[in-house]
Amino acid sequence: MRRVVVTGLGAVSPFGAGVKAYWAGLAAGACAIRPLTLIDAGAFRCRIAAEVPDLRDGSSRRSRADRLALAAATEALDDAGLGRRECAEAALIVGAVGGGMLEAEEWYWARARGERPSGWAPALRAILPGAHAEMLGHRLGLGGPRHTVVTACSSGAVALAEAAELIADGVADVAVAGGVDAMTRLCFMGFNALKLLDPEPCRPFDRDRRGMSIGEGAAFVVLEAAERARARGARPYVELAGHGMTTDAYHVTAPEPEGDGMVRAMRAALAAGGVEPAAIGYANAHGTATPQNDRIEARAIARVFGDGRLLVSATKSMIGHTMAAAGSLEAVATILALVYETIPPTANLAIPDPEVGFDCVPRVAREAEVEHAISNSFGFGGQNVTLLFRRV
Amino acid sequence: MSRNVVVTGIGVVNAAVVGASPALGAWLARPSAVPPTGARPAVRLPERTLAGLVDPAEARRLSRVCQLTIAAARLAVAESGLDPARGLGLVVGSALGDFTSTIAFADGFLTRGPGGLSALLFPNTVMNTMAATTAIAVASRELALTINVPTVAGELAVARGAAAVASGRTDAVLAGGVDELDPLVAEMLDALGDDGLRGEGATFLVLEAEAAARARGAPSLGRIAGVAWRAIPAGPWGVGRRTTSRAIGDAVTRAGGAAPQWLYVSASGDARRDAWEARVLAAALGAPRPPAVSLAALVGHHAGLGALHVAAAAWTSRSGVLPAPDGGAGVAVTGDGLVHGLARGGGHVALVVGSGDTAWMPAAGHEGPPMELPTS
Repeated sequence: MRRVVVTGLGAVSPFGAGVKAYWAGLAAGACAIRPLTLIDAGAFRCRIAAEVPDLRDGSSRRSRADRLALAAATEALDDAGLGRRECAEAALIVGAVGGGMLEAEEWYWARARGERPSGWAPALRAILPGAHAEMLGHRLGLGGPRHTVVTACSSGAVALAEAAELIADGVADVAVAGGVDAMTRLCFMGFNALKLLDPEPCRPFDRDRRGMSIGEGAAFVVLEAAERARARGARPYVELAGHGMTTDAYHVTAPEPEGDGMVRAMRAALAAGGVEPAAIGYANAHGTATPQNDRIEARAIARVFGDGRLLVSATKSMIGHTMAAAGSLEAVATILALVYETIPPTANLAIPDPEVGFDCVPRVAREAEVEHAISNSFGFGGQNVTLLFRRV
Repeated sequence: MSRNVVVTGIGVVNAAVVGASPALGAWLARPSAVPPTGARPAVRLPERTLAGLVDPAEARRLSRVCQLTIAAARLAVAESGLDPARGLGLVVGSALGDFTSTIAFADGFLTRGPGGLSALLFPNTVMNTMAATTAIAVASRELALTINVPTVAGELAVARGAAAVASGRTDAVLAGGVDELDPLVAEMLDALGDDGLRGEGATFLVLEAEAAARARGAPSLGRIAGVAWRAIPAGPWGVGRRTTSRAIGDAVTRAGGAAPQWLYVSASGDARRDAWEARVLAAALGAPRPPAVSLAALVGHHAGLGALHVAAAAWTSRSGVLPAPDGGAGVAVTGDGLVHGLARGGGHVALVVGSGDTAWMPAAGHEGPPMELPTS
């Protein structure tokens, strides 16, 4: 199997467009969770979320999610310095959940009011998760293997894992992979219905955490076979050294209480990378700030790495839970932590949960030279993914 | 690493066929169409057929499309005799997901406000709900992917599952496709100009590494000899002009290089897309084109159709018969065949399918179509 390196990064986050803005926000420990403006939250207990500010790129005929995805994927391709010919053979793997639902909801809400909405064909065409890949492939001229994966909140991380497999197996030399989700009414209402949203900005791993905050965004990376990247003189950020994908087969929303599926995903990633647990210096946790997730994830991390030594942080404390984008945005955060030798903090963490036996890097970023780091992503249905990155 | 991949179990639930390989084989020997119904004709699965496949207590907790998925998945796993505890991955292809639940969830809010939101329905609004519930139902604990793409989700799911087994990352994968008919979805597809014959149902296959299957004495109903998927330039939901793609060539090369002798194609009555597919096949295979068939006219198009084509191709490679959709005698063929899918938007999938070494058993006590199913 071939080694896989990351040669391009792109992100649109609640800190704004671009990787630079994203890292600046994370490194500062800033919190981008604010009053919700995109949809009417007046009827709900939680009225905050992390929205992408000033999204101006692209045609207004495109869905908001498509515009997020296009901006992030374009930045990643530009960053990697890939030419048109290389793009024509590049794979494209997209992790998505909501598709263009925000705009389709407007159509459906109008229809429910008894109106006869017209001119909505573009919104309906973009409604499904797979629509992002069609748009990106068309706009960016990506003609290699293409597919869209939906694994709920781990979709963005699965996209990177899928692309890495294509490259490792020699099916593709280069791939664009990432996740995207825009704010939608269905998502916001759904997590309200499950009573999983904190009316205040979320506090992962805090003793008094009360739930998550919703966010939106997109992040894409360019992955390449290491030999090919070297041959064309590309500068790799890190190596994507391994990944693990498992399923709890336990419950449609709740994680398995012992974290067995999470443990198997982390161990599979370590095994794929040929790395012992002691070599890992940082874990970007799934860290949603729900009482249940954080407790079980901490338990699973402890089973793999032991208590105490590992630095663990949850960047959702700053940008909210960006759904299908979360796994790829957190992968980019993990990559940048290795590159800049700085661990992004867990914002809003005031009183560490005594059941969490790790240094969760409260509120302030920390300098740390780390050789290996993992990024955990877990989704509804017990869909667990761990990505393992190695400095190059 | 590249390992041989065999089909050890098949499960089909649609308006024409319900069962494992014996039922499918019997139907393919004398295929019959199920008459479409409704104002905008579509091939529907009778509710009482589905009710007979899923335990009522279980069905109360599951949406209809999840029931379809689980019913077909269980048939496939049962036929394979595989113990999922030995490791089983899952790849579900779907074009539409659980739109019915999504609409019901939205309607709850629109009619009753926040108090009308159902915490039970919400997980079904995420398209991985079929994979999540099926993983629980069949105890699949390895990777569980949901792949979303119009038209070719079933073919792509099987191709992705076969690639996982061939690479050595997992020994067994349950892969297939599922979709259900929904009136609002039909309205949306009409608005987008989709004019193919629509259907619903699920087809799943258990794919295993040949050595592992042999070691446990599992049936080998067919062989996935080579797979590839790529994209041909086209706008979103569009039909492209280009006809060249490496998908067919790559799949054939991975299968050893022999030209496919017959085809299952995704032609579904979507006239512009079907014409594009014909041009792509002509560009890749030249003339004369091998004999080709699509089962879309018999069961309607849905994501299960692509997986059904793979299962049917396994039967054809074993029986030497390419079925005739008009119920005729079929065409005698030899060698390996190609399952081909081309989607609006440019998704392109090719699988080379060959014969297994296990005879397809006829359905017990069956003459003609495997079940007399009501078509209302």
